[in-house]
Amino acid sequence: MDQQIGIKRKAISPIKILIYIVLSILVLVYVTPLLWMLSVSFKTNSEVFASPFGIPEVFQWENYQVAWSAGKLGIANLNSFLVCTVTLISSMLIGSMAAFAIGRMRWKLSSSTMLYFMIGMMIPIHCVLIPLFVQFSKLGLTNSLLGLILPYVTFSLPLTIYIMVGFFKSMPTELLEAACIDGCSIYRIFFSIALPLGKTGLFVTGLMTFVSNWNELLLAMVFISDATKKTLPVSLTYFVGPYSTNYVQMFAAIVIAILPTIFVYSLFSNQIVEGLTAGAVKG
Amino acid sequence: MKKKLLSVLLSTAMLVSLLSGCGETTTSETAESTETTETTEVAETETEVAETEATGEVVEINWMFWDDLEATEDLMSIGYAEVIERFNTQYEGVYHCTPITTNLEEYDTKLNALIAANDCPDVYICNPGPNLTQYVEAGAAMDLTDLLQNQEADWYGTFTDGIFERMTYDGKIYAVPTNFAAALVFYNTEMFADAGAEVPTTYDEWLVACQKLQDAGYTPISCSAGTAWCLSMIAGYLCDREGGPDNLIGVNAGTLDWTTDTFINAATKLSELSQYFQPTAAGDSNDQATAAFYNGEAAMLVQGSWVIGQINGNNPDFESKCGVFSFPAVEGGADPNRMIVKTDNLVVSSTTESVDACVALMKCFTDETAQKYTAEVSGKIPVIDVAYDETVAPAQLAYVMDILSKATGTLGFYNESLASVEAGDTFDNAMVDIFLGNVTVEDGIQSIQDFYTENVWNK
Amino acid sequence: MDRILRDKKAIIIFIAPGIILFTAILLVPICKAFYYSLCDWDALSKPVFVGFDNFIKLFTKDKTMRIAIKNSLFFMLFSAISQQITGLFLAVILSNIKKGKNFFKNIYYLPCVLSSAALGLLWSFLFNQKMGINQILAMFGIDGPLWLMDTSGFIILPMWVIGFVATWQYTGSTMMLYMAQIAGISGSLYEASYIDGANKFQSFRHITLPLIKPMMVTTLSLNCIGSLKFFDLVYNMTSGGPNHRTDVLATHLYNEGFQYFKYGYASAIGIVLLVLCLIVTFIINKGLKVEDYEL
Repeated sequence: MDQQIGIKRKAISPIKILIYIVLSILVLVYVTPLLWMLSVSFKTNSEVFASPFGIPEVFQWENYQVAWSAGKLGIANLNSFLVCTVTLISSMLIGSMAAFAIGRMRWKLSSSTMLYFMIGMMIPIHCVLIPLFVQFSKLGLTNSLLGLILPYVTFSLPLTIYIMVGFFKSMPTELLEAACIDGCSIYRIFFSIALPLGKTGLFVTGLMTFVSNWNELLLAMVFISDATKKTLPVSLTYFVGPYSTNYVQMFAAIVIAILPTIFVYSLFSNQIVEGLTAGAVKG
Repeated sequence: MKKKLLSVLLSTAMLVSLLSGCGETTTSETAESTETTETTEVAETETEVAETEATGEVVEINWMFWDDLEATEDLMSIGYAEVIERFNTQYEGVYHCTPITTNLEEYDTKLNALIAANDCPDVYICNPGPNLTQYVEAGAAMDLTDLLQNQEADWYGTFTDGIFERMTYDGKIYAVPTNFAAALVFYNTEMFADAGAEVPTTYDEWLVACQKLQDAGYTPISCSAGTAWCLSMIAGYLCDREGGPDNLIGVNAGTLDWTTDTFINAATKLSELSQYFQPTAAGDSNDQATAAFYNGEAAMLVQGSWVIGQINGNNPDFESKCGVFSFPAVEGGADPNRMIVKTDNLVVSSTTESVDACVALMKCFTDETAQKYTAEVSGKIPVIDVAYDETVAPAQLAYVMDILSKATGTLGFYNESLASVEAGDTFDNAMVDIFLGNVTVEDGIQSIQDFYTENVWNK
Repeated sequence: MDRILRDKKAIIIFIAPGIILFTAILLVPICKAFYYSLCDWDALSKPVFVGFDNFIKLFTKDKTMRIAIKNSLFFMLFSAISQQITGLFLAVILSNIKKGKNFFKNIYYLPCVLSSAALGLLWSFLFNQKMGINQILAMFGIDGPLWLMDTSGFIILPMWVIGFVATWQYTGSTMMLYMAQIAGISGSLYEASYIDGANKFQSFRHITLPLIKPMMVTTLSLNCIGSLKFFDLVYNMTSGGPNHRTDVLATHLYNEGFQYFKYGYASAIGIVLLVLCLIVTFIINKGLKVEDYEL
């Protein structure tokens, strides 16, 4: 805010206008496809092919109703929400602890451990799907939500650790040193200083973890057979039949599926904004 | 605020662990008593478990299928859902069937995962051809020969002749069909009349008809040429019309090369025919191509009879102007009265513990009620000789049955009749490439030849 | 302080849950994947050991593999360049404006949050020959190309289209990460530079850029690994077609394993993918040397 006082006249510069124009055009590029999807969700299937771009003749609100009940979206939402939230908390906790140890603490095996976790990120999931399923089946964990949570947490760990290591490494050392001098134990340092400082990182990785698990399809499809335990992405595939696809209801279901994501997302991203504005003007 | 959020999330976590704790089951039964479920139409085992205590052992079986039974709009799938309900009601207290459903895409993945984990579903649906062969060779399918021919001879006798042909390996039967569909040409009678085109019986007549339609300003054929199996339906028919059953027998046995005239001619004709496809044929999806037909944009559609339900469902007015003719003959070629058919097949797991329940289930799928539904509602062809109400059934079905009655033999989809799924794919893809003009006919055929030389004949 | 940072017990307590979970759940399947890559396995019967046969076939006889590697590498480069530039550009701009920062940020990040399956479907509609963008172009009398089926050129048009959609979807995440990193740069550095007479571009070049280098390594690695592993959009938009021409490593793996039941072969492809990712990460880390700035 300080520098604004001196150069207030320059506040509305032509560059600023240009910037806003560019940003707005980008917004259009981003939003138009999504609006189109919304419009399709209100049409009938034959209308989609006949006039894909027009406004629907009759707003088929019932698409949403049918999508909700036929796709059992209520339960699916609940299941997805439970699975993703538990995954979120667990992976945040475990991941940030590991990241702190790798990023900040001094020990010989830190980079090899990092590599160990990274391999988990590099292996495509299709490779490990069937062995994992067989393993879980022996443990009786298939067809249960816990059986989904465990792999989800495991798969979210590498990304979380990787990003958080970056954040922990760039933290100012003086604060940690000051805490040491004050006689804090390492655990206290982690929980009271490192975590709050890395808050932005936590929220970013938290958002990414939640979102990627919310949309995860393959594991959910193969591991869960019980109709009452299926998650949201699986429900969306209901509308793709063996011979034809029920586009309008699928899009309606997709719109319904997006809403909780947007909710969680705005919850988290506002926190990120807090972290950003706390740093004041950024040149 | 963070603390509050944390506590809410922690309590949710506890709730989840409670739920999943109760949910830790062996994979075949479900005993979810604490689940907060609303009434679900899919047969749930909660009430059944209570009943088990009262009436004694209820035999639980699984049936795996590639479409969700509730959200589906496919008429056949809805029919299957009804069968399951009937089964569960009829055998209440004795047998109970829980469907496992996935999307068609993920079906094989999940089935294989279950088999690998020694948890094969008791009954599952399967495509004929190399797909079924894989399960037979892996020992995941139960040999039903004795059951069908001896123990249940009456039931076996109700089936139409020759229907078990494609599921018999070395004289042993491994699957039971529930319905079948034939591939033929659907056409718009109004457009034909308007253009003065006649229903063709030979390939050359067909080209003439196409030309007349085109001259009258109509798109002759609607085809989703980008979807490999759609194009390969036409390609397969052409191959068969050129060389008959010997073609397939020859290539699979290694006595016939792909580079012989019979296939080259077929592929050339495919290329010729494709000039009459709609201009967007390459990019249209199957749904789009079908929609183009029933929305009155194109005059003909080469498809399987399963599409009848889709056509009539999306455009009820179309039924009266929809005609059907058999795929035309090739002059100088082979028997023109052979039809490409595809059956839905049920396979029994070789590791099932309840054969009787499985048999009872399969009987429900093939009994008169179910088969009447097959014909009258979904427009597919029944596998038993059943009298159904022809006035209720879709008009097109009558034409299809008529054509079938004159059929002298059947073959499967070409891509389901070759040595392996991958071989089928190679065939399909080569045809798409030829259509797109990316390769010449010779090169396209050569690529199938190469694949076979390397992977099939040298084994 | 050094002593505290070397506290073995603490280190173990911090690392243990992660390592245990990781080892228990992923190590066994990954080892199995290594083993299967040396076998012939169709998931229905026992695996048959064949040594390096799969790998040899992959590199000598598999035409699709060559296409897949080409496409995957193209994808990686395209994504890396486009997402880094756009992401950084947007992050810097958004960090600097006051009004509407939240709004723009939320909109740009929105596609990341959506499922790739849904987006693949959505965009394949839009790039369909008859509907979508071509319809709009037709209004101007332009004949739109076969966006998703054109097969001419070394890198065919569909790959560029898919690349574009991937950038559309994931730039927001790169942007978000950069914004988080920029937020951590102390404002006093900038104030000092302005007092010294630097303008905005100079302060960007000499302060912002060096200080976000660690995040650059991170996002670049994530981009590259993510694009090498990419599956969803490609599968949902073209399924690797027409005739395997838009196949990437992951779709090729999926086809071989889950359509043709050649899981051993598919595992071999997976191992190749893993090695490729390792090489790329190594190159990035060596190439962008990051100094630790003491703030």
